[in-house]
Amino acid sequence: MEILVCIKQVPDDSVEIGYDAALGGPALDGVTPVVNAFDTYALEMATRLKETVGGQVTVVSIGDDSVKNSLKNCLAVGADKAWLIKDDQAAALDPAGVAKTLAKAKADLESDTGQNFDMIFCGRESTDYASAQVGVMLADELHLPCVTNVVAVEQTENGMAIKQETEEGYHRVECGTPCIVTIQKPNYDPRYPTIKSKMAARKKPIGELTPAKDAGSSMEVVKVYGPAKRAAGVKIKTDDPKEAVAQAMAMMTEAKVF
Amino acid sequence: MEEFVYNKVSPEMIEAFQAIVPGKVHVNGDINEDYSHDEMPIYGKAMPEVVIDGTTTEDIAKIVKICYENSVPVIPRGAGTGLTGAAVALHGGVLIDMSKMNKILEYDMENMVVRVEPGVLLNDLAEDARKKGLLYPPDPGEKFATLGGNVATNAGGMRAVKYGCTRDYVRAMTVVLPTGEIVKMGATVSKTSSGYSLLNLMIGSEGTLGIITELTLKVIPAPKETISLIIPFENLEECIGAVPRLFMAHLQPQALEFMEKEIIYASERYLGKSVFPKELEGIDIGAYLLVTFDGEDMDGLEELTEQAAEVVLEAGAIDVLVADTPAKKKDAWAARNTFLEAIEAETKLLDECDVVVPVNRIAEYLTFVKSLEDQYDFQIKSFGHAGDGNLHIYTCANDMDEETFKRQVDDFMKIIYKKAAECGGLISGEHGIGSGKMAYLNDYVGETSMRLMRGIKQVFDPKMILNPGKICYKL
Repeated sequence: MEILVCIKQVPDDSVEIGYDAALGGPALDGVTPVVNAFDTYALEMATRLKETVGGQVTVVSIGDDSVKNSLKNCLAVGADKAWLIKDDQAAALDPAGVAKTLAKAKADLESDTGQNFDMIFCGRESTDYASAQVGVMLADELHLPCVTNVVAVEQTENGMAIKQETEEGYHRVECGTPCIVTIQKPNYDPRYPTIKSKMAARKKPIGELTPAKDAGSSMEVVKVYGPAKRAAGVKIKTDDPKEAVAQAMAMMTEAKVF
Repeated sequence: MEEFVYNKVSPEMIEAFQAIVPGKVHVNGDINEDYSHDEMPIYGKAMPEVVIDGTTTEDIAKIVKICYENSVPVIPRGAGTGLTGAAVALHGGVLIDMSKMNKILEYDMENMVVRVEPGVLLNDLAEDARKKGLLYPPDPGEKFATLGGNVATNAGGMRAVKYGCTRDYVRAMTVVLPTGEIVKMGATVSKTSSGYSLLNLMIGSEGTLGIITELTLKVIPAPKETISLIIPFENLEECIGAVPRLFMAHLQPQALEFMEKEIIYASERYLGKSVFPKELEGIDIGAYLLVTFDGEDMDGLEELTEQAAEVVLEAGAIDVLVADTPAKKKDAWAARNTFLEAIEAETKLLDECDVVVPVNRIAEYLTFVKSLEDQYDFQIKSFGHAGDGNLHIYTCANDMDEETFKRQVDDFMKIIYKKAAECGGLISGEHGIGSGKMAYLNDYVGETSMRLMRGIKQVFDPKMILNPGKICYKL
């Protein structure tokens, strides 16, 4: 099975990121760039699928040369090939622009190799801007079926059996290939690279692709601002539960909560 | 040794305390049960008569002076995360909650020191220093201990193998003596040959010589990059055997921990997250090393980790897993940092020891300890700092009555402390003596050293009111 995994390099989401008023955006100085967490789940799921049914996993990303490090990291944890769509202005792309760029890259790769992708994996959203649109927009561009919020995939005789997480539980979706899945956190974590896989990854080339000419951006970001600070709460200081409830009710009545 | 008689806290004393620190004096039902124990309640619980929130050096000096004049015990307490019962008010009296003095006062970037109140949590200083590009190197597993508590036990932790223990980072301190006098010890200098080092006597004195009310701590520029390695081995002997080889190859890790599979399983159950591999290449994994290297650039660091990998693979490691992203490093160390909580969550009766032995004797020592397991009804779980020979050995039981457990543990401890001494080690690397390990200290250091310790105690504390019943002064 030929699998394409789309990844995005984002600022490390395990540290608190503040708002830089002078910059008018998030303060990213000193924050490590990493592969978007949901994309790491996508890569792990794709790799496990490849290990079960055979085939290869190709990762692709958009950005400047700095993204190559993230792609190398993907090569150390299961990806067989990595491609960078070289675009120094990638940050200006809106989700539709990203989807168009990825669609062109997929077509370019398929025409180069003569092999078509059976499945495309995307993270359900990125941990920076969290628009959660690229996967479905890419499906629209490519006219492919898309299953979102996926936590497990399995090959069947007729295509894929896909477990989709919903707010109430799970859907089992059967879908032919080629198809697109956007990946939610499954009940396992991505594997650690080993020293050998890292050394092997370092030797692998990362190919470059050109972005779509008409990708552009139809959206304009007007303003980036920090969330409003929450006012401090009120502490009711009494040991008598009835009195505490009465005080809380009085406060809520005054604040016109009811 | 002379017997000291302690008085109870009188209503007049409470009034006097309230006049000094209004609203900060707690008595009777107002005292939380937490104040009766630390994290090792097996050594006995005891409620103080009065708990006073720490405020300032001067206030504490006044309070202590009143206690001194009235022969009432005083117990300084940090966050209560100790493991030897050192912060327990065994003889009642006044407990001063130092965790309330928790301000980071000032960084002196020219001299690379930070001045703090003693109740600042290790975690809070680490975070604050990190934002300034600095590192406070001592890194005990308990991140929510106070710095005053860390100094009082000379806490070590994971990074001791490269950077040393808390002692190496204390430049100066302000101390309230048991008489109520205020003394400043040390200075913002890196050398001293100025008489007996009272500063170093205070470090590791577990609140028995004076109450630390301010600390000046050394910080260093934070290393720019770190990489952690998870190194699985088939068994503990091979795992520990790899450690000296790393040093012989001149590789200096920032942290070097060993852990057996049982404790990793417990930790992962506690966290609900599986990070460490359980089986690789068809081999069941029995033990792990968790290693961190630090450096100034990623390329150099990767080269270093490759060298380290070569060494450990030759020493029998099954593979070497690399944690080089913030999330992976966090996950790997989260498992290590929650060992104690994980054990506590699954264990009804718990005791521990933290012997330290020469690095080249760790394997022999642990094999010996393991060989004793069949003789007792409790389980033995061990982990520790492979890089400096400091081992944490836990005795855990769920189906034993407390009396039998204590009796068996006492027998076990005597044997393993004796073995530690035979291996050229000491009975505590970083947790201290408190009340729980006093008998064993006596066995180990002998009467002459105990006499010297008691003599020192008496010079600082003529009425023996400060934290009685700890280290060398048995009630």
